[in-house]
Amino acid sequence: MSWVKALPVSGEDVFDDSADELSLQSKEWTSNMKKRLRVKLDGYVDGVDTGEEASLQVGFNLGFKEGAAQTVAVGRLRGIVSAIWCWCQIQHPEKPVPSSVTDLLHRVTQHEDKIANGIRNALENPPPSVSDISESMEDLEVERADRGCCEERCEESDCCRKGETMDLDFPHRPQRICSGSTEELHLLLQCCVDVVSELGMPQEIIDTISSLCGKN
Amino acid sequence: MADMRMDDDLFDSIVFAEERFRDEGYREGFEKGSRRGLQDGRRHGACHGARLSCEMSFYYGFAITWKCVLQNSIDGKSRKRVKALETLLGMIQSSPLDDPQSQKLQDDMDKLRAKFRQVCSMLSVPADFKDYISVAEGTSF
Repeated sequence: MSWVKALPVSGEDVFDDSADELSLQSKEWTSNMKKRLRVKLDGYVDGVDTGEEASLQVGFNLGFKEGAAQTVAVGRLRGIVSAIWCWCQIQHPEKPVPSSVTDLLHRVTQHEDKIANGIRNALENPPPSVSDISESMEDLEVERADRGCCEERCEESDCCRKGETMDLDFPHRPQRICSGSTEELHLLLQCCVDVVSELGMPQEIIDTISSLCGKN
Repeated sequence: MADMRMDDDLFDSIVFAEERFRDEGYREGFEKGSRRGLQDGRRHGACHGARLSCEMSFYYGFAITWKCVLQNSIDGKSRKRVKALETLLGMIQSSPLDDPQSQKLQDDMDKLRAKFRQVCSMLSVPADFKDYISVAEGTSF
């Protein structure tokens, strides 16, 4: 944060009121700086509140579409397999549903849960930089320490970028969850095609399943 | 009089300085808050979107499969079922999940759920698929 530049570069703790050698003038300066920082902090906290409020819905709408796109294929597949399961039961009420169908339904359901859990985990364990608003005070402290380190010598180049890197990290998250499960989904789709052929169900179902391949 | 004006100026400059510091802090805070809000909202939105899309997609997969199974039958009962399935599929296709704020989406979801239950009852299958899954689990282990 830029306001830290206003602090002296000598490395002295300007807030150390007990230092005897501080002149009255510098005490006054210190008190002024404290006051300014307090005023700035008040503005900062207000800004965080307003900014957050203004962007929550925008973020929600964006995430909504992203999340929705992630579950189309698996949701449809579970619908297809559930219908097949019901069909088997109605066609042959005297026999148990073939284990290939039951197993597939079980696996598809598990896969769906895995995707849902991945999304929920991202919600419950946000990246560290997204801290609670009450930590604004701490943010200031952290930022100040970082800045100090950078101004002296910036060899430890990652120290001041850390927060930002984590922020940037987020947009890639949904894709990561998704790509990890693509292979599994393709296996399940293939398995479903096999089950449909095995049961002698209409070819149109296979066409529908095939069309899901591009939907994840 | 002159002294007083000087005092006023001094006072003004202090007030303005404070205002300036406040504004600076506000701008930085606003930027931070916007970023945070965007990310928080995005994660919450992803959760809701995934859940709703999962449900809607389930109905779609279920309905289209039954339609494929029944569409070549010529008896009146099957034709009636196919018609109901087509209505359900049409409803799903006209409910795009691109505006979570729209009241239409909420209304559409309510209608969809009702239609799905109706279709299930026409097909003589239970509409509660949680039961199915536990049955499925029960038979596989």
